Amino acid sequence: MTRPTEKEIGAIASAAGVPVEKEVAARIANSIGPAFDGFAAIAGTLPFDLEPSTFVLVQTEKVAR
Amino acid sequence: MSSEPALMSLTAVAGAIADKRISSREVTQSCLDRIAKWQPHLNAFMIVEAGEALKAADAADVALAKGGRRGPLHGVPLAHKDMYYEAGKVVTCGSRIRRDFVATTTSTALQRLKDAGTIRLGSLQMAEFAYGPTGHNAHFGPVHNPFALDHITGGSSSGSGSAVAARLTFAALGSDTGGSIRMPAHFCGVTGLKTTVGRVSRAGAMPLSQSLDTVGPLARTVEDCAVLLGLMAGADPADPTAVAGVVPDYAGATSESMKGLTIGVPSAFYVDDLDAEVASALDATIATLKREGATIVQVDLPDQRQLTGASQLVLAVEAAAFHKRWMIERPQDYGPQVLMRLQNGLAISGVTYLEALRWRGPALAAHIAATANVDAVIAPVSPVPAPTIAESDVGNAPDAEAVIQRLTRFTRPINYLGLPSLSIPSGFTRSGLPVGLQLIGRSFDEATLLRIGAAFQRATDFHEKVPHLP
Repeated sequence: MTRPTEKEIGAIASAAGVPVEKEVAARIANSIGPAFDGFAAIAGTLPFDLEPSTFVLVQTEKVAR
Repeated sequence: MSSEPALMSLTAVAGAIADKRISSREVTQSCLDRIAKWQPHLNAFMIVEAGEALKAADAADVALAKGGRRGPLHGVPLAHKDMYYEAGKVVTCGSRIRRDFVATTTSTALQRLKDAGTIRLGSLQMAEFAYGPTGHNAHFGPVHNPFALDHITGGSSSGSGSAVAARLTFAALGSDTGGSIRMPAHFCGVTGLKTTVGRVSRAGAMPLSQSLDTVGPLARTVEDCAVLLGLMAGADPADPTAVAGVVPDYAGATSESMKGLTIGVPSAFYVDDLDAEVASALDATIATLKREGATIVQVDLPDQRQLTGASQLVLAVEAAAFHKRWMIERPQDYGPQVLMRLQNGLAISGVTYLEALRWRGPALAAHIAATANVDAVIAPVSPVPAPTIAESDVGNAPDAEAVIQRLTRFTRPINYLGLPSLSIPSGFTRSGLPVGLQLIGRSFDEATLLRIGAAFQRATDFHEKVPHLP
């Protein structure tokens, strides 16, 4: 997963219904970039049948022990 | 008993009121006297309700005289972060947008403390919409650190950290989504408990991120935090994410020693690039834990940078979604830093957000496997002690997020995993700034953290240091 570019951020913000100016998109790209970098090794690697509620299962399984 | 009642701990003052060794009015007046002295220097309170507090204290004294003790904290005055709804009260959430918002309901956590007999001193300052780790607030001004007035308190529970440290309130509710309880506790020299996701109801607490938000106390001692958690924890029909089941005896856990427990020290990440005085406090704390009977082992944790990244992606999207309407209609009413952070959420696609949420279960499972042989992990809350207000006033600087990411480097991974973490005062720098360390526990095992923390506080006196005005 790569950091989103200024252009991509402009498009996705518009699609979200909150359009931003070019310089704001550039600032966002710089600011959120490290989060994308950190998650890059995970993105695109998750198994098909994994859903967010797995977290609660793992959390409560620990309680039951 | 202290000659100044406000200097007592929460549990001590509650006991003194119950035994009629002191009245709620005397206690409340003592807090109000300290607030009058400190508030001009700290800016810790959003609003002080002196008249109403004294009236409530008198009512509590009359009730107690008639045998009507309301609960274990009967007549104890408290103030909380200004994001906990209380019906009929203005709850600003530290913002201009909600400057005149009057709550129509009362948050479950707050109601449970009221049911225990507490009375209201007013409300406490906070970062705007709880979205900032320093204690700056563009609308209401920065909150100041009682141990060094030109230094930050940490945020977002800035007023809670400052007011508890200065002994203006016996304890305060905070909230922790990325470190907002632990950082003010660390920077201000108080005890703070970030609870497990699901441990305390969030009903009536201002949302920032539904996946990461947690409610918890800041107080002067671990024992005080344990009492407050015991009162607040448990199922709540108003919040389906609050976990049902028996609430453990948290206060009881604080009387046990740490003998027989094993505490892990991370081999990397949490021990990298530390300020020398933070590193020194960590070493000294580990030595104390050993002396008190704990076994210390090294633990190899999974890559924490991945957890940090996932945490930031989830938080950014959820915060932007909560704020979307105001971002469209009232962008000019946000402080510039907060608007910047909210806009970050616009850069993340739905697929990326859901990937970050889907990984949460496996990430927690990997952490559990890595820490299977320890009861808790000890780590710094932040790599540095409190920076000055001036040097951390990042405004619109392009590296704003880099500064913030350094402060929150050791807290965000724990929010992503939903784990409990107890921040305890663990030393002071040569210049007198507090240093805190966090004990990170297993899901829903706050009791073990409280046990270790209380034993540590019986062996040390960092939590007893009271700041003085210059």
